[in-house]
Amino acid sequence: MTEPVLSISGLSVALSRNGSATRVLDDISFEAIPGEIIALVGESGAGKTSIGLALQGLLPRESHPVVTGSIRIAGIELVGARPKVLRAARRGLVRAISQDPMSALNPTMTIRRQMHESNDADDAAIHDWLGRTGLADPERIADALPHRISGGQCQRVLIAMSMMARPKLLIADEPTTALDLTTQAQILDLLRDLARAQQTAILFVTHDLNVAASFADRLLVLYAGHVVEIGDVGDVVRQPAHPYSAGLLAARFDLDSDRTRPLPTLPAERNRIANLAHACVYAPRCTIARPDCITIRPWLRPAPFHGGAVACLHAEETPLRPESSAPEAPWPSKAISNDVVALALTDVGKSFATGERSFLGRRRPKSVLSAINLSIRLGECVALVGESGAGKSTLLRIAAGLIKPDSGSVARIDVIPPQVVYQDAVSALTPWLSIGEQVGERLRPLGIGGDERRRRVLEALDLVGLDPGLMNALPAELSVGQCQRAVIARAVILAPKLLLCDEPISALDVSLSATTLNLLGALRRRLGTAMLFVTHDLAAARIIADRIAVLQSGELVEDGDPETLIAAPKADYTRALVAAVPGLRAERSRAACRA
Amino acid sequence: MSRLKTRAGWQSFFRRAGWLESIGIAGVLVVTLVALVAPWIAPFDPDVRVAGAYLPPSAAHWFGTDEIGRDFFSRIILGVQYTFLPGIGIVLVSLVVGAGLGLIAGAVGGTLDHIIERTVDLFIVLPAMLIALATVASLGPGLFNTMIAIVIFWWPVYARICRDEIRRLNALPHVEAARVSGVRGPRLLLRYLLPGAVPALLVTATHDITGVIMTLSAMSFLGLGQPAPAPELGAMTARAMESLTVYWWLPILPAAVIFLICLLANLAGDGIRMALRGA
Repeated sequence: MTEPVLSISGLSVALSRNGSATRVLDDISFEAIPGEIIALVGESGAGKTSIGLALQGLLPRESHPVVTGSIRIAGIELVGARPKVLRAARRGLVRAISQDPMSALNPTMTIRRQMHESNDADDAAIHDWLGRTGLADPERIADALPHRISGGQCQRVLIAMSMMARPKLLIADEPTTALDLTTQAQILDLLRDLARAQQTAILFVTHDLNVAASFADRLLVLYAGHVVEIGDVGDVVRQPAHPYSAGLLAARFDLDSDRTRPLPTLPAERNRIANLAHACVYAPRCTIARPDCITIRPWLRPAPFHGGAVACLHAEETPLRPESSAPEAPWPSKAISNDVVALALTDVGKSFATGERSFLGRRRPKSVLSAINLSIRLGECVALVGESGAGKSTLLRIAAGLIKPDSGSVARIDVIPPQVVYQDAVSALTPWLSIGEQVGERLRPLGIGGDERRRRVLEALDLVGLDPGLMNALPAELSVGQCQRAVIARAVILAPKLLLCDEPISALDVSLSATTLNLLGALRRRLGTAMLFVTHDLAAARIIADRIAVLQSGELVEDGDPETLIAAPKADYTRALVAAVPGLRAERSRAACRA
Repeated sequence: MSRLKTRAGWQSFFRRAGWLESIGIAGVLVVTLVALVAPWIAPFDPDVRVAGAYLPPSAAHWFGTDEIGRDFFSRIILGVQYTFLPGIGIVLVSLVVGAGLGLIAGAVGGTLDHIIERTVDLFIVLPAMLIALATVASLGPGLFNTMIAIVIFWWPVYARICRDEIRRLNALPHVEAARVSGVRGPRLLLRYLLPGAVPALLVTATHDITGVIMTLSAMSFLGLGQPAPAPELGAMTARAMESLTVYWWLPILPAAVIFLICLLANLAGDGIRMALRGA
């Protein structure tokens, strides 16, 4: 048995905000051996990021962190260590790469200077490392400022910068969330190769179970600051012992998921328990909870089905666990109107002025969309898939009438303007106005006021499954999932003929994604709305859409039925997109390799 | 904003502001109260002789008496009213004018934005004190004219801040979402845009109370404030400067009160800034 490089035992972290302390991590214990990749998964707010910050001694000081327990990296105790020790550890032992590589680099310094500053390395080593991360032209990259290179290149630079220090532990906090699928696959391969070569343990924080399953060695499932299950990735994915892991795994979707019916989701929290110290934190949402679950706190114990550990009193019963709800009935058969076109884009082109100026000082236009022809019939959902920069959002904004195309025409059938569901639901709600006021906003121009408006708002909240008591709440009092529902309620309070969704699930975790896809799927069928669903996630596109259109560099390269398009992609680009989707297939082939 | 109105809201507001800054906010409220009720809480009539001239501070006359035997404490209490209320007034009028124009410039954009912005530029580059002097010289001395003079060079700052905040907000998803929901016109401006600019404006305005009071005092010092018997703090300091070595309380105490008000206003500004940042 190799000596563990990281050993955490009894780690608890309490943060206080506005005077009230909350325990974000409760009695976490685990170890990592050199070269091992451990994925931390869980819903947002489960404490994944806090573990990473605690390991670096970077918990936000303004929330007065209280850390107890022990964190040892290569034998050095970090809890309660003096700042000097922590600084040395951050330089040599623990490195981190973040979700947003652009903001992790100093925009005023060249890559070379930043790498030099972080590692005291000479130019040859810098070029060598940049080359090793797969950057084609190390000299040019080294002399560039961060805004001159792409997001994927930035992440590679950060990886080079971190791995150069030959750290014992690398914390990768959602390192690929901001990147395209094809780039994501390359970055993950790179990280895995480097970890093996340098014997660096990686703590991989992610909300994407598919990525975790295809990338990590071990899986650590966090729920509300507790480790509920830990074990080899293959074991946990095949036979989850904790009802929460099982629920998470059931809620994820990939290219093989059943798209004829709503996706399985995790049950929502039913009632809070008063005494958390003597109860299972998951009991309020658990479908196999017994009376003893709210009186005895389960500790990690050997899991019944695999070599890992699980914190559940009744883990033996997890496989028998009923689904969150009765098996969902299949979606009703399609009711796409054949002749009513809700949106027709004909030969649409758009270009934006770029920073470059020509000789006479005119900004040179850069073409973003060229000759796009796309039509969506009433009741039909078209998913627009492509990488960032392909022009997806521009196309959506043209369809919404927010910007005018340079050429071509946009035809919509309706007097009710199309509605938009945004990627970041929290920032799509005005922070100082109540949910009810914002949801009811669209009724005002029609002169609907007073009790009638109140009734309609309540109806809309009910339609999206939002507690009517939240009508007078401000967005800050809502969870991310509730904000997303409120945004959808605002969009459907007057049923639009065209609903435009701009990456509505890319910022959400597994269970929320599935819930949102189900909600949108149900609403569009019930209201007979045409829908344009912009996403970079081919799996989500396949679940929700009747047709998938693939956009590459401003041109539609393929357009077709989801199953056929994924099974037999015609364009090279589509083939690359399909291959880059992590999922059960990848993990199965990995398991086969191991066996 | 309505968040601050709840009970727990106020508590967390002061906790975020910090204790020293909370004292500043409370202090500004107390000073405002004193200024409002000054004539009723002053122990003596500030305009008549009540004792011998040049009495040093004592139990009977806390701040002593001035050159003709008026109770100096009463005069300073009145002075708070004569100095602080015009200060607040100037800031408020500048805020309304500046924020109004800034709101329109930022939200409408285009040519109108250009015209308003260049006007703001024009007022910002004018030499402030000179304009104030010229205004008072042409309108004649007096409180109201002094206030007009200061407002003339004070509003552009708020217009600039408000306009930039509105431009920033205009690009945020929630404002775009509101537009998609069909919100336009005054409702968009007043419900969706203006509240977002309030924190920045409020913080600047609280800090500016100091600047305005200093300017008012400086103008009184130059003899452009209110006519002689009015107990304006800056003027009182100015007139008593020559007796600093003999009757120290006459210049020092009004200056100290100006200092205290400015300090409290600055602390209050910091507190509001910190509390709103955390909100």
